[in-house]
Amino acid sequence: MTIAWRLLGFCGLWLIFTGWNPGSWMIGVPSVLLATWAYGQLVGDSRAPSAARTLGFVLFFLRESVRAGVDVASRILRPRMRISPGFQTYRMRLADPSARVLFIDSISLLPGTLSADLVHREEIRVHALDATLDLAPELADLERRVGRLFGEELTKEKHGHV
Amino acid sequence: MEILLETVSLLLVGAGAFFFAVGTLGLVRLPDLFCRLHALTKADNLGLGLVIAGLLPWAADPFLALKLVLIWLLVMLSGATGSYLIAKRALRGDGEDLLE
Repeated sequence: MTIAWRLLGFCGLWLIFTGWNPGSWMIGVPSVLLATWAYGQLVGDSRAPSAARTLGFVLFFLRESVRAGVDVASRILRPRMRISPGFQTYRMRLADPSARVLFIDSISLLPGTLSADLVHREEIRVHALDATLDLAPELADLERRVGRLFGEELTKEKHGHV
Repeated sequence: MEILLETVSLLLVGAGAFFFAVGTLGLVRLPDLFCRLHALTKADNLGLGLVIAGLLPWAADPFLALKLVLIWLLVMLSGATGSYLIAKRALRGDGEDLLE
């Protein structure tokens, strides 16, 4: 059943990309099959988040994207740039594979932080434009939100530096 | 009504172009590879989002509107993933183009 939904989903994507041109399915059909197969291989047994939770996360994400863009722009535009770049390490607690990918990608799109490496499966090296600030609280908040999206509840106290 | 919509679109697209320009300026001004990735991922993500938000009211049909949103999502995804891979290679110093 899930395979049918995935096939349908990728067919829909192809339709959006190429419009109603029937000839495009020459390439479309193999692409859709390949994408469905690859998706199954990559996603493992992650649960799909509910629509309401997804909407909540999208709104949060949009707000933070604006903040991130304005933040980096204001740093760049100052005559003397206000940066003191450096690395910090954050221990990730998420277990769900999809949640981990979303968390790592989100870090890079949110204000002042960029995920640079993953060591020992759980330690993320985060690059910050201003490394004098402690990044852990903000990252823990993001991690909780991502976890909630995938039905994974994280307790408050365990986060922090390595 | 039309004129209001046009003004809003113009402002959004203009703001988007501004963030693209600042991102590019950051590429020139910022001191190292990691900082430059910040400018690329965040400024361009917001810039493209604003441009697309400004174009959405003018999409001829819902399919085209969906396509625009999808383009933004995919660029965001590839931007975040790409910058992670670049940063990782640079940190570990095993990228072929990083020989000095």
